[in-house]
Amino acid sequence: MRPRARLIALCAGLVFNTLAQADTLPQRWVSAGGALSEWVAALGGEQKLVGVDTTSQHPQSLKALPSIGYQRQLSAEGVLSLRPDVLVGTEEMGPPPVLAQIRGAGVKVELLSSKADLGAVETNLQQLGRLLGNEQQAQQLFAEYRQQLDALQGKIKQLQNSQAAPGVILLVGHAGSKPMIAGKGTAGDWLLKQAGARNLADNEGYKNFSVEALAALDPDVLVFADRSLSGDQALQALLKENPALNASRAARNKRMIELDPTLLVGGLGPRLPSTLQSLSQAFYPTAQ
Amino acid sequence: MNRLVKPRTLFVTLTLLCLLAIWLSLALGPVSLPLIDTLRAGARLIGLPVAGEGLEQAELILGQIRLPRTLLGLTVGAVLALSGVAMQGLFRNPLADPGLVGVSAGAALGAAVAIVGGSWMGGIPEVFAPYLLSLCAFLGGLGVTALVYRLGRRDGQTNVATMLLAGIALTALAGAAVGLFTYLADDATLRTLTFWNLGSLNGASYLRLWPLVLVAVVVSLWLPRRAQALNALLLGESEARHLGIEVEKLKRELVFCTALGVGAAVAAAGLIGFIGLVVPHLVRLLAGPDHRVLLPASLLAGASLLLFADLIARLALAPAELPIGIVTAFIGAPFFLYLLLRGRA
Amino acid sequence: MLRVENLSLRRGANQVLSDISLALQPGQVLGVLGPNGAGKSSLLGVMCGELNASQGRVTLDDRGLSDWPGQQRAQRLAVLPQVSSLGFAFKVEEVVGMGRLPHKTGLERDQQIIDAALQAADAGHLVGRSYLALSGGERQRVHLARVLAQLWPGEDGRILLLDEPTSMLDPLHQHTTLQAVREFADRGAAVMVILHDLNLAARYCDRILLLEQGRAHALDTPQQVLRPDSLKAVFGIDVLVQPHPERGHPLIIAR
Repeated sequence: MRPRARLIALCAGLVFNTLAQADTLPQRWVSAGGALSEWVAALGGEQKLVGVDTTSQHPQSLKALPSIGYQRQLSAEGVLSLRPDVLVGTEEMGPPPVLAQIRGAGVKVELLSSKADLGAVETNLQQLGRLLGNEQQAQQLFAEYRQQLDALQGKIKQLQNSQAAPGVILLVGHAGSKPMIAGKGTAGDWLLKQAGARNLADNEGYKNFSVEALAALDPDVLVFADRSLSGDQALQALLKENPALNASRAARNKRMIELDPTLLVGGLGPRLPSTLQSLSQAFYPTAQ
Repeated sequence: MNRLVKPRTLFVTLTLLCLLAIWLSLALGPVSLPLIDTLRAGARLIGLPVAGEGLEQAELILGQIRLPRTLLGLTVGAVLALSGVAMQGLFRNPLADPGLVGVSAGAALGAAVAIVGGSWMGGIPEVFAPYLLSLCAFLGGLGVTALVYRLGRRDGQTNVATMLLAGIALTALAGAAVGLFTYLADDATLRTLTFWNLGSLNGASYLRLWPLVLVAVVVSLWLPRRAQALNALLLGESEARHLGIEVEKLKRELVFCTALGVGAAVAAAGLIGFIGLVVPHLVRLLAGPDHRVLLPASLLAGASLLLFADLIARLALAPAELPIGIVTAFIGAPFFLYLLLRGRA
Repeated sequence: MLRVENLSLRRGANQVLSDISLALQPGQVLGVLGPNGAGKSSLLGVMCGELNASQGRVTLDDRGLSDWPGQQRAQRLAVLPQVSSLGFAFKVEEVVGMGRLPHKTGLERDQQIIDAALQAADAGHLVGRSYLALSGGERQRVHLARVLAQLWPGEDGRILLLDEPTSMLDPLHQHTTLQAVREFADRGAAVMVILHDLNLAARYCDRILLLEQGRAHALDTPQQVLRPDSLKAVFGIDVLVQPHPERGHPLIIAR
C-alpha cells in the first residue's frame, strides 16, 4: 500500500509541476552541440530555436539560424542578443566566465552530457522533454531509440556466432589529407563497436598515424568521414593522399564506407540507429 | 623621412581616438541598446541618481559585460604597446617584438600545461579553471623570460645579442613542448588551446581584471620615467653608459616590465599579436623615436587599436565572435606595410 | 684629472696593453698614434671604464673611475666612439641634446649649448634633419657635437676622449673638427684623441703617445715623438720630417 501511495503522490506532483510550468516554459532556445540540436528538432522544438552553434549541422534547416560560433568560445553578449530563455549545451560549452555572464543575465543555462552512452541519451532526452513540455514524447523517443539499438545488438550477437567480427578503422579527414584515426573513447569507436566491428586502432582519442602504421593495420573494412568532400570524391582524395591504403584488404575488396562526420560531434544523436543499421550491414554483408 | 605630426597634435588626436574607442566599445555590441538607455545606465553605474525602471538589461549589459571588456581591452592594448616600445628600445631594433624574450612562448606553454594537464586530471573544477589558466600562463611567461635573461648574463653584464638568441632558442623549445601537448591532447582540448592562442577579450570579468590593471598601472607609470634613458640606449649601450645611464639596471627593468606586462596581458586575454610590434612602429613613423612622446602615445594608440579590433571581433560575425588576434593581424599587417611603403617613397 | 698607472690589459692569451702610465693634463690635447692593433682603442676603452684593466688602475681626481656614480662621471667625462650604430630617425638636434642628459641645466640653457656645440662641430646647418638621412661624415660631426655639448663649454676638470673623430671626414672638416677640439682644450678641458694622420696629430696635439704592440714607445711633445727613427721603428715607414714653413710644427713627408 505504501509504495503505491508514494507513486500516486509522485505522479500528482509531476502533473502539478508540469501544469505550473506550462506557461513558464522557455520559448526562445539557443542550442550549442550538434546532437542536442538534432534532439530538440526531433522533439518538435525546432520552431523554438533562435540560434545554434557551429557544430549544429542537422537538420539542414538549422543552418539558416544565427550562428553563435564554436561551442567552446561563446560570446555572452552575442548569445544575449538573441534574447533566449534557455541556452542548452554539453559540458564542452564555454568558456565558463561567459556562461556565468549569461546566467547572470537571467538566461537558464542547461548543461547536458555529451558522453557516448545510452544513459546520457536518456537523461538528456528527459531534460529536453521537460524543458519543451513534452516529456511523454521524449520518453517514447528514447524507448524507440533503445529498442532499435537493442534489436541491432541482438542481431549482431547472432551474426557473431557464425562469423568473426571484421577489423575496421575509422578515418576522419579533410579532403583526404592527414586523416585522423578514431581511437578509444571517441564517438567513432562507440559507433564501430555498436555496429559489430572490432576497432583496430587502440590509441586514445583521435590521432594521426604514419602511412606505414596505417598500412600495417590492414582493415577488412574502412570507414571514412571527410569534413570537406563527400561521396566518391572524398574516397578518391583519401586514396590519392594515402596510397598505402590501396594495398589494404578493405581497398582490394572495395569495402569502404562513407560516414557523415557530423555524426561524430557532441554526443549520440537521433540519426545513429539508422547509421548503425547501415554500418552493420556493410560489416556483415552476407547476413541479408 | 619627415615627421608627419607634432607631438601635441598627436596626443590630442590619440586622446580623442581613445575616447571614441571607449565610447563605441561601451555603446555597441550584438545587443542593440537604445542610446538613451546606454546613457542612463551609464549614469546609474557611476552613481548618479537616475530612475532605474526598465534599465535592468542595459545596466547588466553595460556593467557586467561591456565595461569590464572595455577596461580589459584598454589595459591589454596599452600594456602590449608599451612592452613593444620597451623591447624595441632594449634590442635597439624597431622590428623587435615582446615575444623576443620568450614571454609569449612561455605563456603559451603555461596555458598548454593548464589546458591539457587539466583535461588529464579529469578537468579542473569550473570555478578555478580560468584562474588556473591565467596563473599558469603568467608564470610560464615570467619563467621563460627569467631564463632568457639569465642565459644572456655573463660577468654581471647582460649581452643583448645572446639574450636574443637565447630567446629564439627557448621560444622554439617552448613551441616544441606546446606541440607535444597539442599532440597528446584530445580533439576538444585542442580546440580550446587553438582558441586561446588566438586571443580574446571575451568573458572579461572584474575579478580577472584587477591584477592586470595593477600591472598596467605599474608599467605605464614606470616606463615613461625611463624615457630619456631609453633614448640614450638607442645610441648604443656604451654611449648610454657614458651619458650616465645605469644601463644594466635599465635593461633589467625593461625585461621585468615586459615580462610582467605581457605575462599579465596574455594571462587575461590570450595571445594577441601585432599590437606590440605595429603600434610603436606606427607612432615612431608619425612622430619620431623620442621615447618621451613614443611611450605615452603608444599607450593611447595601443589601447585604441585593441578596442577597435575588439569591436570588429564582436560585431563582424555576431552573435558569434572572431578571435581578436585574427583581427589585430588583419588590421595591423596591411597598415604596417602601407606605412613602410609610404615611408620609402 | 684622469690618470692611468701601470696599466696592463690581457685578452685571452694576448697582452693587449702593457705597463702604460699617463695623465691627461687640463688644457692639453694628447694624441694617440700607432699602427693597427697597437692597442689604441683598448687604451681608450680602459680609460673610459668600458674595459677592465688586468693590472693597474684608472683614477679620476684620485678616485677609482669605477667608483664614480654614472651621472657624476658623465658630467666630467665624455667619449666619442669610432662608429655609432644609432638606427632610429632622431633629429640632429635631438641627438646632440642627449649630451645634456647628465645635466640639469634647464631647457633654455640646454638649447643654447646644443646650438653652440653644433656650430663648433660645423653641423649647425643640419638642424631639423633626420639623423638617418645624413652621410657618414655628417653623422660623425653630429656625434662630436653631442660629446661637446655633454662637457660644454669645456672648462678645467672636463675630460674628452675621442676615437678617430676624423676617419670619415673630408680634409676641410678634419681641420674644423680638430680645431673645435683644440678650442675645447684651450678653455681648460683635457682631451685625448686617437688619430691616424701624423700631420694632423703634429698640428693639433700638445703631446703624443706612440703605441707599439701595447707598449708606450714614446710619450712626449710632437717634436720629440714624430722623428724618422721612431716612426720607422713603430710604423715601418721611411719619412722626412721638416718644420712646417708657417707654423713650425713637424711636417711628416713619406719618402
